[in-house]
Amino acid sequence: MTDAKTKRSTRRSFLRTLLAIPATAFFFRNIRLTEHDDIVEVDGWILKRSDIL
Amino acid sequence: MIFQDAAAYAASGFAPKVCVIGAGPAGITIARKLATAGIPVVLLEAGSNEWTEESQDAYKGVTIGDPYFDLDSTRLRYFGGSSNHWAGWCRILESYDFEPKTYIQNSGWPIRRSDIDPYFDETYDILGLSPFRPDVPVTDNFRLFQVIKSEPVRFGEKYAAELEASKTIAVVLNTEVTELSGDGRSVTGGKLWSRGQAAGEIHAPYFVVATGGLENSRLLLWSNERSNGGVVPNAAALGRYWMEHPMYITGDALITNQAFELDHEGEAFFMPSPEAMARLQLPNFHVQLETAPYRGVKALIANMTCYAAPETTEWLSHKLGQRLQCTARVHMDWEQLPREHNHVALSATEHDAAGVPRIALHWKKDESDRRVMLEGMRLFGEEFARKDLGRIHISDWVRNGEDYPDGMELAGNHHMGGTRMSDDPKLGVVDRDCKVHGMSNLYVGGSSVFATSGQCTPTTTIVTLALRLGEHLSRTISNS
Ligand SMILES: Cc1cc2nc3c(=O)[nH]c(=O)nc-3n(C[C@H](O)[C@H](O)[C@H](O)COP(=O)(O)OP(=O)(O)OC[C@H]3O[C@@H](n4cnc5c(N)ncnc54)[C@H](O)[C@@H]3O)c2cc1C
Repeated sequence: MTDAKTKRSTRRSFLRTLLAIPATAFFFRNIRLTEHDDIVEVDGWILKRSDIL
Repeated sequence: MIFQDAAAYAASGFAPKVCVIGAGPAGITIARKLATAGIPVVLLEAGSNEWTEESQDAYKGVTIGDPYFDLDSTRLRYFGGSSNHWAGWCRILESYDFEPKTYIQNSGWPIRRSDIDPYFDETYDILGLSPFRPDVPVTDNFRLFQVIKSEPVRFGEKYAAELEASKTIAVVLNTEVTELSGDGRSVTGGKLWSRGQAAGEIHAPYFVVATGGLENSRLLLWSNERSNGGVVPNAAALGRYWMEHPMYITGDALITNQAFELDHEGEAFFMPSPEAMARLQLPNFHVQLETAPYRGVKALIANMTCYAAPETTEWLSHKLGQRLQCTARVHMDWEQLPREHNHVALSATEHDAAGVPRIALHWKKDESDRRVMLEGMRLFGEEFARKDLGRIHISDWVRNGEDYPDGMELAGNHHMGGTRMSDDPKLGVVDRDCKVHGMSNLYVGGSSVFATSGQCTPTTTIVTLALRLGEHLSRTISNS
């Protein structure tokens, strides 16, 4: 039950992150979410979400 | 007194209470400490006053597993030992390093850092250090810590005059112990080799092996083989749990808010908090930022696009360009876990000029090394961004689990374990006093006694432990 919930929320936040990334950033190849909502890893760069808005 | 060979020493009639084998930082420190208590010591040194090809040849060996330095270039075999080429970077193991961790098998020392605290002042004196500055928390999970880049003390040079003048310490150069003999309770003597030939035996009530972090295992393994287990009666851990500090350049940094102090070489060292290590179940490590001599976005892009995703790097650099203060290479060194299978063994086929089998070092990094690199970089990068200190890029080979790159430093030349300290004779060779389990008069000095390696350079801790051993032995001898 907890697992399913975590999976759902991870998927949700992943989608949220993708939506938050503007079209100009589509050349980014590799996106990884972190345990912090405000931080993403893009092509090995560890960035603030605001960096790519 | 300094004698040039075993024959000159034998003629002197000197009667030692302790025979210390090996005149590097550990051996010289132990001998000097014993001498301050008036205890006569003979300090045997395989090499001479300077580097010679013949002496160095005995250090040749092979490494099986991961690429490693040639075993005759990662250490020096003459008076002063490897302090003749060490870099002088100093730091003492952290309290946390001594403690057992549920998530690291075979972690924990039988002593605590507080057991070596009393020897810090003397250690600073020997190495010419001022006390370490307190760590500075820079993010929730990382502390800036001081590595003292000291003017490296060459132990042979520093103490030659004092040892020459000493009536209590007899240094014997060009004289190695090829094997110790023992009856399973005590060492009964040591066979000598001096100036290319056998040179009789040495006898003393107590023996200390201080021949370096690889050689201590070699000498004891060979001695034990020759005396049918009479030198290290509990030999399950002998030569085993050998460790290094792997080190690689693992990424780059753009620094936008340099809210931490750089040292005089433009470097800063960060260590994770014990809580972060425990939460992520990681061994200790440090992240070293090496700020680049160039400034500005163009040079950075030119350099980085060679290996980071070019469009991303360029875009990010422009984005941060206004605030960019400087750029840095990110370098990581980490604690290698004590693994039984990483071990010093004796070659079955190769021997040195004195007939002692050469070393076959079995050493391989594993998944825990990969994990600490990647998770450590991620933790640091996330904190760095959240605090708006800058942004970190993790090298592709680290993220993709590719081969370790050639042409990087690969490790620290720090040889640890092999005669590790443990209360349990199955898991260690020496007890908390550095005495070989089951033997009444045999002790070990140097980083081969490290139970775990922490993330920092070893020699400061080696000197501290040597002072502690010297004091312990002085007390034991005075009480007996
Ligand atoms: C390139 C390099 C850079 C380094 N930089 C640093 C650094 O910045 N900071 C740090 O903390 N550490 C550093 N180190 C590690 C440091 O040099 C060692 O930790 C330190 O020298 C170990 O001291 P030791 O006395 O235990 O052993 P050693 O220095 O190896 O001394 C052992 C001595 O025993 C002698 N010996 C060997 N076998 C016998 C025998 N059978 N009989 C008699 N004598 C024998 C040897 O000739 C030698 O003199 C570096 C090492 C290298 C190679």
